[in-house]
Amino acid sequence: MYSRTFALVVGVALVAAAATVTERYTEAERRHWAFQPRKGVAPPKVVGATNPVDAFVIARLAKDGLRLSASSSRETLIRRVSFDLTGLPPTPAEIDAFVRDRSPKAYENLVDRLLASPHYGERWGQHWLDVVRFAETDGFEYDTHRTDAWRYRDYVIRSIEADKPYDRFLMEQLAGDEIAPGESEALVASGLQRLGPLRKNAGNQEVASSRNEVLTEMTNLVGSGLLGVTLGCARCHDHKFDPIRQKDYYRVQAYFAAVFEKDIVTAPPEEQTAWKARKDAHDGDVKKIRAQMRGLKGAERERMARKLKDAEENAPEPLPAIFSVTNDAAKMTPVHVLARGDYGNKGERMLPRPLGVLLPDGAPELAADTPNPRTQLAKWIVDPANPLPARVLANRIWHYHFGRGIVATPNDFGRMGTRPTHPELLDYLANELVKGGWRMKPLHKMIVMSRTYQQASASVQEAVGHEKDPDNTLLWKFPLRRLDAEQLRDAMLAVAGRLNAQAGGPSVIVPVDAELTNLLYKPSQWAVTKDVKEHDRRSVYLIHKRNLRLPMMEVFDAPDMQISCARRDASTHAPQALELLNGDFANDMARSLAARLDQEAKSPAEQVDLAFRLAAGRLPNAKEKAAGLRFLKGHPLREFSLAMLNLNAFLYVN
Amino acid sequence: MEHIRLTRNRREFLTDAFGGFGALAFASMLAGETNPLAPKAPHMAAKAKNVIFLFMAGGPSHVETFDPKPLLNQLHGQKRPKEFGEAKYQFVGAEAKLLGTKRTFHKYGKSGIEVSDLLPRTAQCVDDIAVVRSCHGDMVVHSAAQYQLMTGRIIPGFPNMGSWVVYGLGSESDSLPAYVVIPDPKGALEAGQPMYTNGFLPAIYQPAMLRPGNKPILNLDLPKGVVTGERKATVELIRELNQAGPHAESEEFAARMNAYDLAFKMQTEAPEVFDIGKETEATREMYGVGKQPTDDYGRRCLLARRMVEKGVRFVCVVSGGGPGNMQWDAHEDIEENHLRMAAQTDQPVAALLKDLKQRGMLDSTLVVWGGEFGRSPEAQGGKGRDHHNLGFTMWMAGGGVKGGQVVGATDPIGLRAVEDPVHFRDLHTTILHQMGLNQHALSYLHQGRRERLTEVEGRVVKQLVG
Repeated sequence: MYSRTFALVVGVALVAAAATVTERYTEAERRHWAFQPRKGVAPPKVVGATNPVDAFVIARLAKDGLRLSASSSRETLIRRVSFDLTGLPPTPAEIDAFVRDRSPKAYENLVDRLLASPHYGERWGQHWLDVVRFAETDGFEYDTHRTDAWRYRDYVIRSIEADKPYDRFLMEQLAGDEIAPGESEALVASGLQRLGPLRKNAGNQEVASSRNEVLTEMTNLVGSGLLGVTLGCARCHDHKFDPIRQKDYYRVQAYFAAVFEKDIVTAPPEEQTAWKARKDAHDGDVKKIRAQMRGLKGAERERMARKLKDAEENAPEPLPAIFSVTNDAAKMTPVHVLARGDYGNKGERMLPRPLGVLLPDGAPELAADTPNPRTQLAKWIVDPANPLPARVLANRIWHYHFGRGIVATPNDFGRMGTRPTHPELLDYLANELVKGGWRMKPLHKMIVMSRTYQQASASVQEAVGHEKDPDNTLLWKFPLRRLDAEQLRDAMLAVAGRLNAQAGGPSVIVPVDAELTNLLYKPSQWAVTKDVKEHDRRSVYLIHKRNLRLPMMEVFDAPDMQISCARRDASTHAPQALELLNGDFANDMARSLAARLDQEAKSPAEQVDLAFRLAAGRLPNAKEKAAGLRFLKGHPLREFSLAMLNLNAFLYVN
Repeated sequence: MEHIRLTRNRREFLTDAFGGFGALAFASMLAGETNPLAPKAPHMAAKAKNVIFLFMAGGPSHVETFDPKPLLNQLHGQKRPKEFGEAKYQFVGAEAKLLGTKRTFHKYGKSGIEVSDLLPRTAQCVDDIAVVRSCHGDMVVHSAAQYQLMTGRIIPGFPNMGSWVVYGLGSESDSLPAYVVIPDPKGALEAGQPMYTNGFLPAIYQPAMLRPGNKPILNLDLPKGVVTGERKATVELIRELNQAGPHAESEEFAARMNAYDLAFKMQTEAPEVFDIGKETEATREMYGVGKQPTDDYGRRCLLARRMVEKGVRFVCVVSGGGPGNMQWDAHEDIEENHLRMAAQTDQPVAALLKDLKQRGMLDSTLVVWGGEFGRSPEAQGGKGRDHHNLGFTMWMAGGGVKGGQVVGATDPIGLRAVEDPVHFRDLHTTILHQMGLNQHALSYLHQGRRERLTEVEGRVVKQLVG
């Protein structure tokens, strides 16, 4: 049974049927758990569990004769929750203050402080940027830079930090230009719709094919990113496993039929006029050089070619603009079912309609000229009765807190995805989210305040735990986790005392080997940011260039920004060791950490202590201390510091 | 208990490894326990163990190399007769005139296969080569065509065939990367890095992109001012501290220490593989090392052989990089471009085939030659040729492929593959098949779909594999 209420809401929105919709969905298809309305569940009664999360988790563990492990130490806890909520390690002073704080509200105060930190927005903003495969370049051969795309990144960070309700957040990104065409915030947000790779070729532009790729990109993102269904699988044929017809795919795509890129220049008119004059002069120069080049040969030609290249690279910087989109009804792309996804093979014309499995059979399409179509789509998505998005978001939040979602495949709630380990808990969290006005922070707080979250990463029940639940999906201990690429780089900067915490603004380009930039079609695109202090900023502010990822980020599983990334790998392999032992960045950080230890600690014993407090968030144990001291007798502090940045105690959160 | 024993032994190993390489066998055993790159059994009996892909970037002309078209010369200067049908190009339009070739073709070897005078040395090996004259792809622009050739898809984000092969078979070497790309030092290509990478496969399947100069693998060398002895002590300290810390016995941490062992082995053993000075004078000469214009591609082909010898699974040796005319992308002047590109590569390619054969390695090494498309029968701007994806030539040798034969054919002007067309996905299927991998079984669940290299089904080109 689909939700009656939900169907009604949609029914009101759908007017002026254009064509009769004939596909039907069987009861069996509609019965899949993710398409069912969320249940109004209450936490089970569990003695001693005051936090709803604990009630669900403990009750489930008990079925297998398992229980939560003991509480983590304060030092472990502050390191875990700091990395989790802000992506940064706690400072020794913060650790001391928390360990000494005897107030019963000590942990809650810590959580509140972290949730209010601007670094929270940076950390959780990055998660969203993964989902929407944020990048600042076109990809493909020219990989042209989108100089204003950083504004979207800042919009995400700002919105998450302010705990903007998720329904509003999605509405702005899907239809900001429709609902608030005069507000720059909403216009920046709708830049979401042009974040995907974009193929621009010299000569034959293959306009229809490129346009089709852009529409495909956006449709897939709505499916996997927002709805948690692999809509993309239905591009070429009806979905093989889920009740999604090929027509559903093109009907969702039809909402975007009229969307086109738009750069909205914000400079005052006189500045725009002045810029245009500069640009015209420059274009004239380039034209002149090209004309002079005609007929030249050999060295003369090469000289002119260099001149041309210089001129082209010195084009006036484009004026600041909002990287946005707009509807252009006149240019609308009629959306057709494409046989095998081939744009040259057009079938029946499709008009906008949400996924059929969530509608009554025969629910009509929207008219082709429906004004503000994306607003309609966004309203359908964030309708509280829509069973999917709240579950998807609650699951993502859980996934980032524990390293694994209640549904382990956060972009796929279909039959090929995994089943929820705690279905009632998922519905409970999703309902709480909606009830709380789609704000994420209260949900974070409920989760990180739970005993489930605060339990130790080692359990006295290892043997039975391994037997009953070897992958720890039921959470009988806190999962040990490696820092992800951004956490790792940011933590190295923080520990070395180098982190530049400045927020926002244009993206930073850090120096890399010439061998790497030479792998770019246009090496000059990698224009290193001049102010070296900028190079020490958080990773979220580094440029996200599709055709050149920093090797360090790449080896530690940063996503490739081509398709939505729901879950990062945490792989372990030799190039990681090479990067952290021999890489320029690691050695630079080790030198800075050594200088810091030298300055802030007097004796070798104090240096070892401080190094552990910085890198591992705790004092060394006796063995560690002895090993450190022995090493420092014959080896430089720089090598000791490098070792600290390679330690499991640094790279993992337990 | 298992892991406590392991870690203690690993320490012994490291001590050994620094003193020499007495513990190699033991290291491989260790690797098998925690290393996801450990060798895996193929799905079926494999003919080939390794692949060398000689990637002729930019798109070499089939009608100037392996696909003689006398009619094209006869029709030179005329518009394409209607009966050959339509073609969509990147630049040239309907008004374009057919361009005859200045190359001459001769029959070579026992097989008597015709090869042009552009590639006289490769021609000498033609009895080992299966020339596929009926290749075709879906895209006529570089980036999308390169993605399709390398990953089976016309958009970025999908794994390269090298990543797929390593995902399927693991690595035979524990001191070298399993999948290596040796780009042309002259510059990058249109599809950029994403065409070589692991896409959604885990990062262990990413390629090692070799860099020009003396330090081909990133981070393999110690930083300036650090000596080996000193670094050895640092690695030992890391090990000691990791063992003293919490969770020392976890599998994940054991894998991490194993990664440090492998890194160390790479650091000590890989430089030796890169040192082609270890080869005899005669071998280097055969590849054209030390003279122009063959030195660069010769070195890289020789390096490919040395790596395959050490168990590297998949090597891609790129010819062409930087602006179009530095690739096989002969828009302006087919003669000038192809004479230059062929002169750089013909001798090294032939040497590679001969060398592999002499060493008894050709049977187990599949060599593939070709670009992302061919070139148009029509002229572009009088002397050049445009991109052309409807019919062009690639070839395969070794690795169980039956040499000395021609597969498929284009029409009499080289416009379209008309006989036994071989799509990129058929090529992929055949490569996998020779490696003992089944295109359906080699899949990876990604966002709800069992993704595979061939997307939809490709076919094994039976004639190629005999």
